[in-house]
Amino acid sequence: MTKILTGGVGKLEVAETVQKLALDGVDVAVSSDMDAAMKLRAGQADYYLGTCHTGAGASLGVLLGLMGSAACHTFGRSVPTEDEVSALIGAGKKVFGFGMDKIDTVAPVLARAIAAHDA
Amino acid sequence: MRGNIAAAAAGSTDLGLSLTQQLTVIVLCALTAFISHLALAVFNDGVRPFMLDFIQGRTTRSATTAVSFGLSAGFIFGLGAPMALSTGVLNPWLLFLPTDILGILSPKKWLAPVLGAAWGAVVVFGLNGANSLAHDLPVDFLTAMQQMSTPILFLFTLFPVLAISKQFGKLRGGIAGLVELALVVATMKLWPGIFAGAIAMAVGVLMLIAFAVAKDLRQRRKERAEQAGRADGPAEDASGGDDPMASLFSTSATRLRKHLPLFMVLGAGVCLLAQMHIFGGGEATSFLVAKGDYSGAAQVDFYRVFGFVPLIATTALASGAYGIAGFTLVYPIGYLLPNPWLALICGALVFAVEVLALSWIGRILGRLPSVRDSSEHLRSAISDSLQLAILFGSLMAANAMGGGLGILIVGGLYLLNEAMGRVVVRMAAAPAAVIVGGVILNLLYWLDLFTPVKG
Repeated sequence: MTKILTGGVGKLEVAETVQKLALDGVDVAVSSDMDAAMKLRAGQADYYLGTCHTGAGASLGVLLGLMGSAACHTFGRSVPTEDEVSALIGAGKKVFGFGMDKIDTVAPVLARAIAAHDA
Repeated sequence: MRGNIAAAAAGSTDLGLSLTQQLTVIVLCALTAFISHLALAVFNDGVRPFMLDFIQGRTTRSATTAVSFGLSAGFIFGLGAPMALSTGVLNPWLLFLPTDILGILSPKKWLAPVLGAAWGAVVVFGLNGANSLAHDLPVDFLTAMQQMSTPILFLFTLFPVLAISKQFGKLRGGIAGLVELALVVATMKLWPGIFAGAIAMAVGVLMLIAFAVAKDLRQRRKERAEQAGRADGPAEDASGGDDPMASLFSTSATRLRKHLPLFMVLGAGVCLLAQMHIFGGGEATSFLVAKGDYSGAAQVDFYRVFGFVPLIATTALASGAYGIAGFTLVYPIGYLLPNPWLALICGALVFAVEVLALSWIGRILGRLPSVRDSSEHLRSAISDSLQLAILFGSLMAANAMGGGLGILIVGGLYLLNEAMGRVVVRMAAAPAAVIVGGVILNLLYWLDLFTPVKG
């Protein structure tokens, strides 16, 4: 089971969007940046999806400081493709930030890529 | 072309800046660029987390510049510029996001304030010119934009209700909604002199905070009881006492405290800018400042602070760089202060207290996850209510400018932006559409195809 945590301003919407996809082997839970940082470090969760206006501030928050920039990536307000996300996951990224007005497009792409990678 | 002639003609609605105001903006931009250069503070909350690697020397100035530009550009052109053009009032996205970038960009220390000042000058002269031009047009969209304030104030009143519903469910959200509605009606009847939503908003925010604190206290009591029961408790509680986080936070707080005097100067400057009533700090405040409703502006920005304190505190403590406007508390204080000297003193003191209290605030927030949660729900609720208010207000402005044709153009442009994947940030899309709509209506007037609604 791959565990995804959501955080930031649009955390409810992101969790809802991912849940609706009903992807096999993916579990999503609403969290916050501080809790998520601790859980990722402790191995209790695998990925973190954060959202805010910029796609990086509230969404990444303390994660960048605690997980290091090697594990974090922000799409800002842009929309990535599934291949781009797969490449990033392959490179060791676990924490993704994106703009809250792009949740409906970015969250499914991320969730599908994560599901495909860990399947 | 700039200022004097138009100022005399347009009268009270003109927001042409005086020489003192222009110099204040220019000097403040120089200062914020300098502070950004030193990586002591950035306005963009999204850039702040990236400052850690820069401060610790793990990344280069040019890489950080790229991050800053990437995260800010959309907000400068998609939020700051349209807001300023549609209100004639300055805003932090237009002033401080570019100075973030210019400061980090500058390879030399002396160059940062020079570039910052240059940007300040561009904004001041550009806005003055655009303002006087806009007021001289037959279809005046700046005046039409004043329609915005009623929907903003009244819909913003509801934001605590939305936040409570999101965080604590339908029942409590519904109760909060009824309480707020009753308070609005009562305020209108009993104290017609004050803004109808003032008491309702205060009570709503207090309810949200009370729910959150109560939940955290209950949770902690439960965890303590559980931990007493079995030694190997779940690591559910990520408290601020955790080692890596605590050491990261205290290093940052110490770094910021070392530069306290500079932060006090910054606070004084930002507070002064707000006091001059040429600047709106929040997403919707510019419209209220443009209309001269300073107490409304102060209320909106004061409550907005609750949504931003945890975000700014945690990003600052995690990165070692503070916010250019601090916790943004200096905005509402500035709007309300009667004179500039008081603003300078209060701004400096507020920033001093904020910087000194930062590590304490971080510790408290670590212990109150629900309060941190609340702030995220608050910000999300603020965007939801303002989005509707700004869209509705923009359509009202469109109606005032050009009736049905105005609504068609402005509403159509808004929908087009949505369909194209939101090139302009949603919050600014409708005001930007009003500007474009205003230009189109003026062109149509000039082609003799349209008669302005109001003479």
